[in-house]
Amino acid sequence: MYGNTGRIIVVDLTKRLIQIETVAEDVYRSYVGGSGLAARLFWDRAVWDADPLAPEALLMFLNGPFAGLKLSGASRFSAAARSPLTGGWGDSSCGGYAAPELRYAGYDGILLTGRASEPSMLTIEDGDVRLEPAGSFWGKGALETARMLREADGKKWRTLVIGPAGEHLVPFACILNEGHHAFGRTGMGAVMGSKNLKAIRIHASKKGMRLADPEGYETLRSELNPRIRDALASDVLRVNGTAANLEGGVYAGDVPIRNFTSNFWQEMAEALTGSTLTDRFLTRRSACAYCSIACKRHVEIPDGPYAISQGPGPEYETIVSLGSLIGSMDLAAVCKAGRLCNELGLDTITTGATIAWAMEAFERNDLTVADTDGVILNWGDMDTVIDRVIPAIAGRSGSLGQLLSLGSAAAARKIGKGLDYTAQAKGLEVPAHDPRGGGHGLALTYAVSPRGACHVAFPMLFMEMGACYYPEIGFEFELEPKSAENKPEAAAIAVALGSIENSACYCQFADREITIPEWVALFNTVAGYGWEVEDMMAAGKRIFYLKRLINYRLGKTARDDSLTPRILEPARDGEPEGISIDFEGMKARFYELMQLDPEKGIPSAEALMDSGLGKEAQVVWR
Amino acid sequence: MEYWKNEEEPIRAFLKLFEESAKDAELSSGLKKVNQLIWFDYTEDGPNCSFWVDCRNGNLAVGPGKPVEEPDMTMSLSADDAHRSWSNKLNPVMAITRKKIRVKGSATGLLKLAPKLKKVAQIYEGVLRELGWEDKILK
Repeated sequence: MYGNTGRIIVVDLTKRLIQIETVAEDVYRSYVGGSGLAARLFWDRAVWDADPLAPEALLMFLNGPFAGLKLSGASRFSAAARSPLTGGWGDSSCGGYAAPELRYAGYDGILLTGRASEPSMLTIEDGDVRLEPAGSFWGKGALETARMLREADGKKWRTLVIGPAGEHLVPFACILNEGHHAFGRTGMGAVMGSKNLKAIRIHASKKGMRLADPEGYETLRSELNPRIRDALASDVLRVNGTAANLEGGVYAGDVPIRNFTSNFWQEMAEALTGSTLTDRFLTRRSACAYCSIACKRHVEIPDGPYAISQGPGPEYETIVSLGSLIGSMDLAAVCKAGRLCNELGLDTITTGATIAWAMEAFERNDLTVADTDGVILNWGDMDTVIDRVIPAIAGRSGSLGQLLSLGSAAAARKIGKGLDYTAQAKGLEVPAHDPRGGGHGLALTYAVSPRGACHVAFPMLFMEMGACYYPEIGFEFELEPKSAENKPEAAAIAVALGSIENSACYCQFADREITIPEWVALFNTVAGYGWEVEDMMAAGKRIFYLKRLINYRLGKTARDDSLTPRILEPARDGEPEGISIDFEGMKARFYELMQLDPEKGIPSAEALMDSGLGKEAQVVWR
Repeated sequence: MEYWKNEEEPIRAFLKLFEESAKDAELSSGLKKVNQLIWFDYTEDGPNCSFWVDCRNGNLAVGPGKPVEEPDMTMSLSADDAHRSWSNKLNPVMAITRKKIRVKGSATGLLKLAPKLKKVAQIYEGVLRELGWEDKILK
């Protein structure tokens, strides 16, 4: 086998049984790796009626075939499980350093079941894989734990850790690599916490990999790395981080404000944008392994009420979710709130969105101090957010913590009010791109994404922005963001391409510079898949289909491919003011193009057969 | 060229656009924040079809041709696409992706001007009227 190792660590934490299992080459060719391979393994091994936090539930970490290849953008990693937040398919992608290290140690992934009898840590050191007690780390913050684990026994370890939120099973708890890079979405940290697993640490002594065509790959790499490094977008991201164009986003109406009730806030645009972060708080730039873009930030706020030590700084999603979305344009406070979420191990997007929902509920009197332990929730009150709300969520403490730690949709259902003004799809909160300004196609892909509202499941955001041109796969559209025209057609391409990107575990900032023929050449030179363009796109479609089948078996149907009224009502101000999204029209056409059943939401039996999913069709269409 | 009779016409319009923009407090302030010497290179439509904007160190100056000093950023495109761009009828990201616009140097500063393109387009329309070129206004 080339590129991939074909070896997966399978751990039953209840029995403390560790095995190395092999995965056949044709499975990789069909499902690529990362979230695609995770979907395949889930389909084959899941206990379908298991609660996401039950011992029987699966938690998987899977590499793509390019991890460790010293290629910009290729060091991401997928975590997948049934989501405790949504009840459906959950996956999350994380950059950083764990993916190459696991590959160098000789494995493509880790598959966990069971529940350890005591707080534990999985140690992977080349061929030696063992469980160790981790009681001394339980209760500690994610950054603190990562610091303690990083250098031990005279070796440098790569770490995946949960914070207290994961230990308390908050359904949107995250997992952090090196205390900085997050598997943020869908609550993978809670699943890890439910298994009593505080950390995974990895150390590899060698860096060798076996490629199908080493010379061909090296030629490709020597072309791609400088191109990615020198790209205009890379320069912008390097200088001012992922929030570099936040200001432009505000003027386009893409940046959500006060729980998606506004699409324009002029003063906030400059206060929170990436160049302001650079000017005020940046101490250094950093990167995921082997990436020349270096979009990550390190910040320090030396004094004042929001002082924080030098350490990981916020990305765009965090800045907006813990800033404008909750009515704040105080960048120092946002940095501190983001750091706190990292330490506690919370997804900043769902945390911010849930607080924003609660602030609006409080304003409407749908929530009162009787529900919040006396805490008054006002827009932009960052002292309360930092001192009371976020710690309460992570600890599930008091009435406020118990309510908001459910996430916005479940919290609204619990109080019986306010579901219409949550911003979510399938229970996953909408990220920091408002489709009314960012692009109507994004509304469609938020809704049909297997994991719920997600801007990185598929490259629709980039397509509507104008950053994609793929004539080889029929993507030559010149899309107008605030229109439904050609969006279903674009989405049909995006779901296949996005499924490839996330199964290859490739960064969407870097991969915009890679052409479709180069994508195919990467798979062929690294893993020897022997693909043509159509084979690659067929694999992407197959993966999208399989995740939909998984969701169907977990109770999701076409009705769940929806967005809440808040996101679909016309914007009240800003560039998109008054414009409606033709959501149902786009969805109907997308269903037609993808051969999806209008009630079940799954592909027709014929479409499944065509995608090589005949056996699976028999399960869902019997 | 679709919109211009000769290579002098676009430069005349674009220089006037920047002179008028400099009189607008918001745009003037935005341009100064860019803090770069920029060469707008339309030489694919004629050897003299280009101009420069110097907004370094709090100054704001424009002139025809290539700047004497090495520019911090060069933006190369056709004079027709420049016309579409200043009229806010060209998606700059799409134009860069499809190689209609080629950028050399850092565009970080220029990104700050992107939100102001709508206002620039309004001024540009006024400039075209003033020059008696209503027929060039893109609707």
